[in-house]
Amino acid sequence: MLLKQKVALVTGSGRGIGAAIAAQFAQEGAIVVVNLLQYRERAEATVKRIREAGGTAIALQADVTRADEVNQLVKQIWAEFSGLDIVVNNALSHYRFDPKQLELLTTIPWQSYQTQLNGSLGGAYNVCHAALPVMMTQGSGRIINIASNLVQFPVIPYHDYITAKAALIGYTRSLASEAGAYGILANAIAPGLTYPTDSSRATPEDTREAIIKLTPTKRLTVPADVAGCATFLASDLCRNLTGQCLSVDGGLVMG
Amino acid sequence: MATETSLDIFFAPEGTTFSQFKMLPVAADGKTYQLRYPLVTPEELTALISQLQQAQAEVLAPLSVNDLVTKLGKAVAYWTDPNYPLRQLAERLLPAITGYNAETVRLELKRFVRVFRKKELQRFLETELDQPAILDDFHPQKSGQLTRAYGPETVFQVFSGNIPGLQIWSLVMTTLVKASTLGKTSLSEPLFPVLFIRSLVQVDPRLAACFVILPWKGGTKPLETVAARQTAATIVYGSDQAVTSIGKLVPLDHRFLHYGHKISFAMIGREALTPDHYLTTIKQVADDITIYDQQSCLSAQTILVEAGGAVTPLMVAQLLATELENAQLKRPRAQLTQAEAAALVRFRSENDLAALADSQIKVFASKQSTAWTVVYHGQPGFAGSPLNRTVHIFQIPHLEQAPTYLTVYRPYLQSCGLAVGPERLLRLAAQLGKVGVGRICALGEMTRAQAGWHHDGQFNLLDLLRFVDIEHQAELAAEPLDPDVE
Repeated sequence: MLLKQKVALVTGSGRGIGAAIAAQFAQEGAIVVVNLLQYRERAEATVKRIREAGGTAIALQADVTRADEVNQLVKQIWAEFSGLDIVVNNALSHYRFDPKQLELLTTIPWQSYQTQLNGSLGGAYNVCHAALPVMMTQGSGRIINIASNLVQFPVIPYHDYITAKAALIGYTRSLASEAGAYGILANAIAPGLTYPTDSSRATPEDTREAIIKLTPTKRLTVPADVAGCATFLASDLCRNLTGQCLSVDGGLVMG
Repeated sequence: MATETSLDIFFAPEGTTFSQFKMLPVAADGKTYQLRYPLVTPEELTALISQLQQAQAEVLAPLSVNDLVTKLGKAVAYWTDPNYPLRQLAERLLPAITGYNAETVRLELKRFVRVFRKKELQRFLETELDQPAILDDFHPQKSGQLTRAYGPETVFQVFSGNIPGLQIWSLVMTTLVKASTLGKTSLSEPLFPVLFIRSLVQVDPRLAACFVILPWKGGTKPLETVAARQTAATIVYGSDQAVTSIGKLVPLDHRFLHYGHKISFAMIGREALTPDHYLTTIKQVADDITIYDQQSCLSAQTILVEAGGAVTPLMVAQLLATELENAQLKRPRAQLTQAEAAALVRFRSENDLAALADSQIKVFASKQSTAWTVVYHGQPGFAGSPLNRTVHIFQIPHLEQAPTYLTVYRPYLQSCGLAVGPERLLRLAAQLGKVGVGRICALGEMTRAQAGWHHDGQFNLLDLLRFVDIEHQAELAAEPLDPDVE
């Protein structure tokens, strides 16, 4: 098992990519905290699935955009498990990849950017800020931020979403730069269009097919692809690798 | 099958015979080296010392101090050449003999020999003697008299085996004052002095008669009694126990210099923990701890870290822990003896227990090994460590408060690696000097003392010398006795 006895927090893991990461971490022996914002039932279902498969998980509610709630969450994790080895910043403000609803440059309000920044970047900031002192004391830790391959290849220009994910990649790099001296590794994963998830359900068939056509592996990404990469980044197989952003998109983005 | 090579780890003038030898096998580079040394008897030692006395009179005494500087400088120059066969031999064998990381040995050896370049030897001389030529002749002094200095004819030197190469420090000093040497090496590092003397003999074959270097088990009374009594001076490097036991054998009217147990430490001011400096500071501290695994008395055992910097003293402990973990990959610590490993395990469990009882104490330690340990204390204090990359970090509100915690260690304090701004450097140095510290140095340089330092607060050469004055009146009184006087 790659993550035996490691304590992992996966934000926004009631569904989609987050849930897949939580499940795989648990399968590899990690004690997983499934964080949710509003869908308690789905988070409980993730936890139930993990437990049925013989893993260890609990569901804890916290709004990652609120520092006080995140601090409380990390305190609770520390009290329960006396450690925090892995953090996956997966939560974001809800987003629908629907090209038909795309807001154009001339009409998109600043508030849309702000909302996405608050979710992706603000959430990651709050979680890292609370988790770093714990990881520094441990002399080790893994931070994995879920970005997007749209930053490098904006096939469809979701301005607010892409801007916020680009900020998250920048945050990952500067974080990695300082935290490395404490034995903490921080990396990002840039999934391609991951289907099915709540965010991508609205992406129409022809858009999906157009992306598949451009993709060397001739398929879209599935949540388990991202979970595999996250497991590697969280495990001891990944050593001395930090500040990177790995694209998990079938080779749509290279380099 | 691996080839075998025999190598003498002793030095004695040509023609010396010993009744019995012992071999110590050491594996290095796929070869087995049989290190050969004699089991010397007190009678053989007596004869050797008397030969050393004679050689001193015939070879060393007639040489000028400048000649000696030139010859020593040439021997050192050989060692600054990476292709010098004896240096290559030392680089191969010392890691195998001592257990130290090969890269550390290679780097530190070449840095160390540079301290003895010809110009540095002159620095040693001129730091302590206004006129080094008084080692050759009587020279007029400002006070009116004529003065000449004499070194002891023979010196019994007891070397410690903790740091490769360190032995030549005192070998060079005694040779500069024209003393022959009987050196007792430790079997944990018997090689370097022998190789260095071979270099010196390469420069001037006559010097071979002036050195005897032998390993024997420390505390062998019959040998040490002969050595201490029949030589003119004794210098001991080692534990307090070694110093005391040999000290008892030295006649009262003989010079006895000793360098026993010492503790060094570091103090980091908040100005060295700013966002642009803290990483360099941590790296330097880690180097000081890593080089030769703190076996040198110059390495920090405790670090006092001032609060109020951009990173807290606790973060310094955390950063140092990561740096020591990295060092283990780059330059692994030497394998420990069972006793050393047991001491570390005991140290860790004591501190783990203390940490359970006191939330101000935190233990950071390598997993599944004893490679490194950092014990953080949230209160000011001072403590020794069992070495081998084990260090205490004490938080202190202001470095100016440090002397309070140092006073009880006064007889043992030696170097302080001090990282503060220029304004505080002299003020803090004065406070540290008052409580017994003998050397203030830069972080990252703690293990590398510079030419001309006062070892343990003493002179390098002056303490070996005896001065003879011809008073001015005697000169004046001699004048009328010149048959040619008017």
